[in-house]
Amino acid sequence: MTAKPKIGRIRNPWNALAIHAGLICICVGYLLPFLWMASTSLKTLEKTGEIPPRFIPHPWQPQNYVKIFTHPTFHAVLFTRNTIVIAILTVAGTTLSSAIVAYGFARIQFRGRGILFGIMLATIMIPFPVTMVPLFTIFRRLGDLTGMAWLGTFKPLWVPAWFGSAFSIFLLRQFFLTIPKDLSEAARIDGCGELGILFRVVLPLARPALAVVALFSFMVVWNDFLAPLVYLQRPEQFTLALGLDNFQSAVGGTPWHLLMAASVLVILPVVALFFLAQRTFIEGITTTGIKG
Amino acid sequence: MVSTVAMKFIKPVIFAMLAVIAGIFLILGSRQNTSDVPPGFTVVEYWEKWVGNEATQMRIIVDDFNRTVGHDKKIYVRYLSMTDIDQKTLISIAAGVPPDITGTWDTQIAQFAAIGAVERLDDLAKARGITKDYYLPVYWDGCSYEGHLYALISTPGVVALLYNKQIFADCAPQLRAAGLDPDQPPRTLDEFDRYAAVFDLKDKDGRLQRAGYLPLQSWYIPQLGLWFGADIFDAENHRMMLDSPAMLNTFEWIKSFSTRIGGQTLLNFQNAMGNTFDSPQNPFLAGKLVMQQQGPWMANYIAHLKPSFSQLLMPTSEEWKLKDRASNYGWGVAPFPSAVPDMENVSYDPFDALMIPAGAKHKNEAFEFLAYVNQQDVAEKICTLHCKNCQLRHVSEEFLTHHPNPYIAIYQQLAASPNAHCVPVCAIWPEIYKELLDSAQAVTLGEEPAVALKLAQQRMAERYDRFITLERRREQLGIN
Amino acid sequence: MTQEERQNFFKGMAFLAPWLFGFAVFTAIPICLSCYYSFCDFSLTVPRRAPLWIGMDNYRQLMHDSLFWKSLGNTVYYVAMALPAGMLVSLGLALLLNAKIRGQAIYRAIIFLPSLIPAIASAMVWMWMYNTQYGLLNYLLGKVGLPPVAWLGEKGAMPSLALMSVWGVGNTVIIYLAGLQDVPRELLEAAEIDGAGAMRRLFSVTLPFLTPVIFFNLVMGIIGAFSILTVPYIMTQGGPNNATYFFTFFNYDEAFKFLHMGYASAIAWIQLVITLALTGIAFWSAKKWVHYG
Repeated sequence: MTAKPKIGRIRNPWNALAIHAGLICICVGYLLPFLWMASTSLKTLEKTGEIPPRFIPHPWQPQNYVKIFTHPTFHAVLFTRNTIVIAILTVAGTTLSSAIVAYGFARIQFRGRGILFGIMLATIMIPFPVTMVPLFTIFRRLGDLTGMAWLGTFKPLWVPAWFGSAFSIFLLRQFFLTIPKDLSEAARIDGCGELGILFRVVLPLARPALAVVALFSFMVVWNDFLAPLVYLQRPEQFTLALGLDNFQSAVGGTPWHLLMAASVLVILPVVALFFLAQRTFIEGITTTGIKG
Repeated sequence: MVSTVAMKFIKPVIFAMLAVIAGIFLILGSRQNTSDVPPGFTVVEYWEKWVGNEATQMRIIVDDFNRTVGHDKKIYVRYLSMTDIDQKTLISIAAGVPPDITGTWDTQIAQFAAIGAVERLDDLAKARGITKDYYLPVYWDGCSYEGHLYALISTPGVVALLYNKQIFADCAPQLRAAGLDPDQPPRTLDEFDRYAAVFDLKDKDGRLQRAGYLPLQSWYIPQLGLWFGADIFDAENHRMMLDSPAMLNTFEWIKSFSTRIGGQTLLNFQNAMGNTFDSPQNPFLAGKLVMQQQGPWMANYIAHLKPSFSQLLMPTSEEWKLKDRASNYGWGVAPFPSAVPDMENVSYDPFDALMIPAGAKHKNEAFEFLAYVNQQDVAEKICTLHCKNCQLRHVSEEFLTHHPNPYIAIYQQLAASPNAHCVPVCAIWPEIYKELLDSAQAVTLGEEPAVALKLAQQRMAERYDRFITLERRREQLGIN
Repeated sequence: MTQEERQNFFKGMAFLAPWLFGFAVFTAIPICLSCYYSFCDFSLTVPRRAPLWIGMDNYRQLMHDSLFWKSLGNTVYYVAMALPAGMLVSLGLALLLNAKIRGQAIYRAIIFLPSLIPAIASAMVWMWMYNTQYGLLNYLLGKVGLPPVAWLGEKGAMPSLALMSVWGVGNTVIIYLAGLQDVPRELLEAAEIDGAGAMRRLFSVTLPFLTPVIFFNLVMGIIGAFSILTVPYIMTQGGPNNATYFFTFFNYDEAFKFLHMGYASAIAWIQLVITLALTGIAFWSAKKWVHYG
């Protein structure tokens, strides 16, 4: 992507300096809540409301990070496990099913494709609250139909992912359109069917786009609050994002230090993932070409 | 170049580490699911709203049950504490996977009962001898809807005036100047207002530093009318009475505080306090609020959050008579004064309810636990642990002498008073509750009480009429 | 249909099958059901209590429910504030982050960080920073001699929420950033050789090329801003004095607190129609200002 280093490079060093200065200021502002979070996570409860506030915790209480693993209502290990299970199922489902559907939209000419694609795009615009209540009824019916409980299990959270997500399908379709047709034609001559072309030719080339889709859906599941709030009832099924709410007692009075320590643990894996995949991520979005 | 090589090397390592950590969590998390139930036992699932100390204390009772009655009758109560219990319960009922017992608030009983979301308990209760005579009347009324019993109590409460004796003493000269007695809590509402005004303190920038009393700080804003003789809802005639003269007086009174202090100043103060009840920043404990309406449980919170406030901690022996204990405390309790002459010992009596959701799989076994919690000895134990009064008509002498709140007799007397009130038994109470909170805020910010109440009355009457109309139509069509 | 067309049709349908099924079960049926419920008295809670058809009653009721208008007004106010602010800030940030300077990876990660954390966690941090008395922001204001601000007071709450949303624009920034990679370098260089300044290049080359991305973000922004729920749910519970009582909040209360699922469905439908209308307007106007290169 940066094959032509001369172009776009800032020539005036003062300009570069100005940009650095601007970005540093903005980043400090953006980081402030995080630093505050991290600092609070190391304080004692009494010191969390201290006036004047201080950044360096004194006394220093790193045990908070141990305490959240033995907290009576925040079951850190269990919640993490639940979130990972849901995340794996969702990410795998979204990526695989969206790729298949996107291939259909990108590579197969058939009547009604344009209309169906339009409908699919329109579904992105449906706010979750609209379908939240009826979906609930549907999951109950599905429970009756399939003879096993759906509500009160993880199924309502991950099963829909296996039927494609409109946003991911859209991104992948855009990317598939950019893959030269000659490649798939060559594979076809070699005797590949459409599925063979998808899995042997298109998907290997689409790695950055797949990474984007996977990362996006991972972030959505990891942070989702409303759907687990509605579909999960038993505390032992809670996800991390939902479990954080358990710190707030109904009568008020939050153990801020523990809450912040838990929050830091919750965001760490996502931040690590993003930092690692940052380049692929931007590259992937670029190549999908949102401009349609 | 070195850095790119390093990056190439580092990335897979970090990825691998993340994967390994995920794997560890998967394995550890799965292992926690092992069953703790002895074979052959019926599992009764019990969801409770408490988190923190109260949850831990209730667990003691559950463990007692599992060891004794439960063991004999082969019932095992599995206890889960969670937030947002009301919504979780409803959703689980809708889903067809409800718990067997749900520990929610009194405010939901009528709402749940009206739509058939909870089981009737009349027969089960009668069979166990749990009747109206066994309970204090105010609590029995709160558990019933249209003549049927839908809930039993886990722990009750009763609201009284809680005041900071230390600040009363500190402000003795000003109080005396205003013709008030610093050694006594206010006895009439008029006196109460004069006390409150003395305690208000602003800093040089006009910010409120200390308030005598703040209506908006109360947990019981929608119930404040009780002390003015207001009855919000007439259950017999299905009438909403939010704009009655007594309610108007109530809201004029609420407004008088913002007129005196300034609406925005007051809200800023309120906002600064945030949701700090169970923390050392609790405005009452921090000396920023001198008088408030609270229940007996405050003694537990004070012992936990500001031990010095109760100079004597938990009673260790009976030598300390109740009166001596109380005189040692930095805080005092009295009936909240009423605005109506001759109407004494007015109290609001909220409680924590245990209900059996519709479609629960083990209704009879669940009731075993409800009945157990309402045995006199058990009820006294949990109420002592939670530091609350007791819902039963008869309590032991020991309960009163060993209670962690030295003022327990006042609370017990208030709950037994003819002027004790439970939450209005109305199917749309949660809506009225929100409406009255909104009205109180609007009035504080300058709205005319008459206007706010008229709007509230109109909105709620309309909503209630709609509820009744639709219920009738359902009856006619047989869609229940 | 020719033989080949038919064959292609079936092939296409086979590939689309997962989505078609998912669309039917998880979108189309819920939408229809939601529409049906919006004409019913329905409380969802008890399986044996079936929906009761009441015609337009829910909608009629909504039209003179003052809280409905209040929540609608609040939502529009929020969208009017958060959307343009978010669009401008994210575009500005993307331009800065696109400059070829050292350490961009770190800057990018930091700007993106806020959109990675669960809304509930960020809501809690901000709630605390905004606290009038113990909050960091008022402490900092005090340091420079300014009076404290009631960040979550009746007047302040909405701008504070909008400010917080600007902090969480990382997703949008990344999409702009990706769009910026598509602006042809040759054109930028040619413009520079022609003597166009940085501003000139931005307005005549970069922005026109970016319009499809701007449009995309606008549509996503409309949808996102209209659906805001978690943050005010935790931070303000709709208060004070209903100043942050959003449409979604109204919907949630009616559905899960007051158990009027039918009423809630009517609210959800109005939200859907408004969102569709706004995106429709966006699409219609797009012809005038979006250039597909």
